[in-house]
Amino acid sequence: MSTVVEIENLRVWLGRREILKGITCRLGVAGAGKAIGLLGPNGAGKSTLIQTLLGFHAPSAGRARILGFDCHTQAREVKARIGYMPENDSFIGNMTAVSFIRFMAEISGLPAAAALEKAHEVLFHVGLGEARYRQVGTYSLGMKQMAKLAQAIVHGPELVILDEPTNGLDPAARRKMLDLIKEMKAQHGMNVLLCSHLLNDVEEVCDEVLILKDGQVVHQSDLEAERRSNRRFVQFEVSGDDRGLLEALRAVNAEGVSEAPGQWRIVLPTGVEMSALWRIAASQNLKVKRLTHRRDTLEEIFLKAVGHLAPAQPQPAAPPEVPVHGRL
Amino acid sequence: MAVYKRGYQKYDGPRTSHAERMLVIPRFAWERLLSQKAVTVLMVVALFWPLLCTLFVYLANHSELWSGFGAGFKRILAVNGKFFVVFMNVQSVFALILAAVAGPGLIAPDLVNNALPLYFSRPLNVRDYILSRMLVLAGILGLVTIIPGLLLLSIQTGMAGVDWLWNNGRLFWGVLAGFTLWILILSLVAMTSSAYIKWRVVAGGGVLAFFFFTGGAAEMINAVFRVDWASMFNPSWAIEAVWMELLGVEIPPDRPGFFECALSLSGLCAGLTWMLTRKLRPVEVVK
Repeated sequence: MSTVVEIENLRVWLGRREILKGITCRLGVAGAGKAIGLLGPNGAGKSTLIQTLLGFHAPSAGRARILGFDCHTQAREVKARIGYMPENDSFIGNMTAVSFIRFMAEISGLPAAAALEKAHEVLFHVGLGEARYRQVGTYSLGMKQMAKLAQAIVHGPELVILDEPTNGLDPAARRKMLDLIKEMKAQHGMNVLLCSHLLNDVEEVCDEVLILKDGQVVHQSDLEAERRSNRRFVQFEVSGDDRGLLEALRAVNAEGVSEAPGQWRIVLPTGVEMSALWRIAASQNLKVKRLTHRRDTLEEIFLKAVGHLAPAQPQPAAPPEVPVHGRL
Repeated sequence: MAVYKRGYQKYDGPRTSHAERMLVIPRFAWERLLSQKAVTVLMVVALFWPLLCTLFVYLANHSELWSGFGAGFKRILAVNGKFFVVFMNVQSVFALILAAVAGPGLIAPDLVNNALPLYFSRPLNVRDYILSRMLVLAGILGLVTIIPGLLLLSIQTGMAGVDWLWNNGRLFWGVLAGFTLWILILSLVAMTSSAYIKWRVVAGGGVLAFFFFTGGAAEMINAVFRVDWASMFNPSWAIEAVWMELLGVEIPPDRPGFFECALSLSGLCAGLTWMLTRKLRPVEVVK
């Protein structure tokens, strides 16, 4: 099975600015119905990457391939296999939803009769069945988002690129949108490339995640594997001299970062139990004030990747307190 | 089964060819244009002049009806290159007005509603989009220019005999090529106006203003510098000169010739195409 998105040392200049600075990655498996999340802070290059994949920008170096076709030199083959839902309002004025979706289906290559049938079908699917004879321009923001999704999937693409699909949606509409994306993956085997600022949406829907920062890949991971792994994040708050804590954690293959004096965030590897922390605290003469643990979240992954979680720094010694053998 | 009960099924049937996909845009646009009363009325009005010309052709071929008018009248009632230059000149004005009414609605709505990413994320590029949009106007304008022109030629051939067409084959190609060139220029001007001016009424006015201002500016240069060559920058004059050459009519010696005018019109088309391709981009890049 081929890769859905394959990028090799992709560089893109817009004007005199280099936006994408040598991106290399392989994402998804064709036909597997997986979703890839594209994350990054503002100005990271997410939209430029999507637009380059769509053939809107020519790469200055490197190449990008979708389903085995080069995005620049084989743009027509690529575009025949993808559906795109832009971030901003995009529709054709003075057209009813049925005409709009039918038109989009026909220029995607569906014969006229099939296009009309699919237009009705997909509008009912996204919940616009009753409003399908209204002009798209009169739709609410949520309805326009659904119409954009409908035009992106009406021709049955192999890859659907969704740019901020839940923007401006109320909770119920957001839930509907996420359910539709999950259904596209699970029931229709479509691959999805989802660009969103909402980490919860990406975490809920995506199987892989690519995080960009300053035009470079700073993290790529398989969220499924992350979910499967038993790594746990522990928030650990102690009082006492914790300068030796990092060393002691490393001795049991655990990683930790100090967020503030006495406040630690620790990753426990597989096989290391929580009791090990109590033993370390006791051995370091530390008083444990708080210990909470939870599984790794996308937020943690994202914050680490974009550098918002600083690496552990040696902290000044805390005022001495009476150790209670690491117990409260 | 009813559509609402069936649910969405991924389409995996046959796909149409690239050419068929390109024709979808004109098909939908024609449907919308012909539903506008102004366009329909203009198309009907534009057929009055060809009807008058048909009457002229009839009279020219029935000398018994005007035998008492003398030889001077016979010279006037001749169906030749001059006749077709006059016919094309008048008909080109109707085509211009029609382009000003139908053209602005072609591209501006797509730009206003940010629809270009939807087109260009499908197997269409900027060239395909421009060609498709041009085809919309070509179809409408062809109905009031090329079709009546060829019908007139057919009527004349029917009345005067096939020998007449054999001896005047140049007129056939002249009408065809001359009107095609005019449609190309009108389409490019109308599309550029539509791409740069989002307000439809103003964009329509822009189409008319383009021909008035270029004509006025060319004549002003001629008058100020006491020259003749500036007429080649007047598209209305330049196209008339090209038509005269194509139809075998002598171009007035005090005006720029065929090659200068053809060169000027080629430059105009190239410039308008460049302006269009600059404007029609799927995403706006802030440099």
